[in-house]
Amino acid sequence: MNLEDELRSALRRRDPPPDFTARVLKSVAPRSARRPVRPWVGWLGALAASLLLAAGDLGYRHYQGERAKAEVLQAIHIAASKLNVAQKKVQMISHRSNS
Amino acid sequence: MKAAGLLIGCLLFAAAAPAQQVKWNVEKLAARASNNVDIELNGSLLRLATGFLSDTDKDEAQAKKLISGLKGIYVKNLEFKQPGEYSEADLKGFRASLRAPDWTRIVGVHSTEEGENVEVYIKNEGKSIAGLAIIATEPKELTLVNIVGNIDLDALSDLGGQLGIPNVTVDKKK
Repeated sequence: MNLEDELRSALRRRDPPPDFTARVLKSVAPRSARRPVRPWVGWLGALAASLLLAAGDLGYRHYQGERAKAEVLQAIHIAASKLNVAQKKVQMISHRSNS
Repeated sequence: MKAAGLLIGCLLFAAAAPAQQVKWNVEKLAARASNNVDIELNGSLLRLATGFLSDTDKDEAQAKKLISGLKGIYVKNLEFKQPGEYSEADLKGFRASLRAPDWTRIVGVHSTEEGENVEVYIKNEGKSIAGLAIIATEPKELTLVNIVGNIDLDALSDLGGQLGIPNVTVDKKK
């Protein structure tokens, strides 16, 4: 085979393979399209967000509860101390009237 | 039919309406106070607090028992730098709400030496006590207390000596 035949053979028109178009489109497609996000990633994100919200709500409820408790004790203390004053004075007066 | 529906609606509304706090309207005084303690605990906050009060700590357990029948605790404590920052007229509104037949004054003490006055009122609802109000005045301090709800006087008596609560005996036959 001479050079001319070799060139003719090398430059001979050949049809592309059937999956050629698909392969070309695949290679030029954006990376994200080639590798779709797995569905569980989305679920994991939603779960993490829900947990974060729940933890925040729990923390706030705890803060509110502790604050309410402190206020209850303070309120009882104030009310009781004033009742104590009244009772002491009543006792003092009754003591005087008895003696 | 419509009248019956209206009546049922009114009854449901009355049943759902929260027990009312006695209004004291001392906001102007609070602005002049050097120290202002304002505690407002409605039924839902009291229920929330109940969950945080210990059963093992004696004081907290007693407080828990005491508040279990309550619908609200409201306390206003004002301290002033100078005597005479408030007058009897400032208490007119609150005192006016504590009139008979709903309210009965069970204790009223007045000390000219110390200038300390304490008045204790209870609200009667049938045979039970549905509320407690205290007006305590000193030259530089004013304290108003309103407890709404069925107060268990035995529980209150149990707290005598703890948290400073004395044994208060009230004639329940009234």
